[in-house]
Amino acid sequence: MAYTTFNQNNFDATKEPMFFGQNVNVARYDVQKYSIFEQLIEKQLSFFWRPEEVDLSNDRSDFNKLPEHEQHIFLSNLKYQTLLDSIQGRSPNIALLPIVSLPELETWIETWTFSETIHSRSYTHIIRNVMTEPSKVFDDIINNEAIITRATAITCYYDALIEGIQLYNAHGEGEHTINNEKVSVSLRELKKRLYLTMVSVNVLEAIRFYVSFACSFAFAERATMEGNAKIIKLIARDEALHLTGTQHILQLMASGRDDPEMAEIAAELKEEARQIFIDAAEQEKEWAAYLFRDGSMIGLNKDILGSYVEYITTQRMLAIGFESPFTTKQNPLPWMNSWLNSDNVQVAPQEVEVSSYLVGQVDSDVDTDDFNDFSL
Amino acid sequence: MANIVKIQDGYSFLPRPEATLLEALEAENIAMEYQCRQGYCGSCQIKLIAGDVEYHKQPLAFVQEDHILPCCCHASSDVTVQLPQPLECIQKKVSA
Repeated sequence: MAYTTFNQNNFDATKEPMFFGQNVNVARYDVQKYSIFEQLIEKQLSFFWRPEEVDLSNDRSDFNKLPEHEQHIFLSNLKYQTLLDSIQGRSPNIALLPIVSLPELETWIETWTFSETIHSRSYTHIIRNVMTEPSKVFDDIINNEAIITRATAITCYYDALIEGIQLYNAHGEGEHTINNEKVSVSLRELKKRLYLTMVSVNVLEAIRFYVSFACSFAFAERATMEGNAKIIKLIARDEALHLTGTQHILQLMASGRDDPEMAEIAAELKEEARQIFIDAAEQEKEWAAYLFRDGSMIGLNKDILGSYVEYITTQRMLAIGFESPFTTKQNPLPWMNSWLNSDNVQVAPQEVEVSSYLVGQVDSDVDTDDFNDFSL
Repeated sequence: MANIVKIQDGYSFLPRPEATLLEALEAENIAMEYQCRQGYCGSCQIKLIAGDVEYHKQPLAFVQEDHILPCCCHASSDVTVQLPQPLECIQKKVSA
């Protein structure tokens, strides 16, 4: 089952499943199996932004005025987000493109991954602006134990899927002996890995990012580090859309409408999938403890952030039909919603593009009568 | 003409006709969950028990069966909705 970059078979792509069908050939969007992915692409494109549009000149002096333990909170969050987007800026492409079978989904994956690279670039933009020596921050990511333990929890699913796909592409299904080691490749096992990977991506976008978002907005609530908060708002807007994409994929898998075997797998792995959410929530609470180890910040501490993690975990679990073990019923950080609301995203005024105005707003239906009032 | 909105295990009210269902619930001092307010994030979804709603534009978010996104719809008949939490937990007290 070697991968081919342009499948020369003549087939109807709309009859293929999302993954593990035929490799895509013509990148065409005139007919679509799932138009939702095309709509997500349109929306993501209308969200396009560049980090340099956001002015960070005040953030440097704000940062220097922060007490040391708050600088630790700020920088640790940026490091963690850098890690998350380093992963998301490449992994969906590497893991999912070799197995995707629908052109609109293929392009959605590429568009989604590309937007994560903008996030990565924005972290460099922020750190360049607030630090004299940006490399100190970046160099620490790979040495920081609290961050690296998180990285393992996130990448293990991607890595298992990618390894499986490489073996499948090279050797096909069956029992093989590679370097004197017996390996067995089965499509069902690959589909299981795919399902768990999608769940873990959902958790990354829906829960892991939000601890950092909360801290960034908590700073901005005090009118400090506001440029940073503007960038985080733009990132949060993109992440909300990515989350919707992953929820649609998971739901299509679980419904069996796309691939009946995927529905069996979703049912079979439900407990394991649920556990991914619960483990992530626990890890994020540990991360909150690490952030506040030298002291809390105004309006936010380990306990409040912990109960916020439980609250959003419950929300996200309910959204895809899982029961949550957490009992937090009320949003402990009610001000988060207004920060997360992208309607009031503002960058440099001349650069603002209201997303809903972008499509088809030119009126080309002008009649000669319309010029009657003009005289030369 | 506006349609009556009934909150399950709560009370009924008559929203302003131009308001989205989310705005109508917020006007009742209910702390609704929201994020994008454009139908692509799915944060605000609630369960529709009875009645019909009309979307201004078909939303992108994944919506569970029997659920609606109040941020981008309004009631097109009298409706009954179920809030995610008991009313007393999420209604802000307004002193007279």
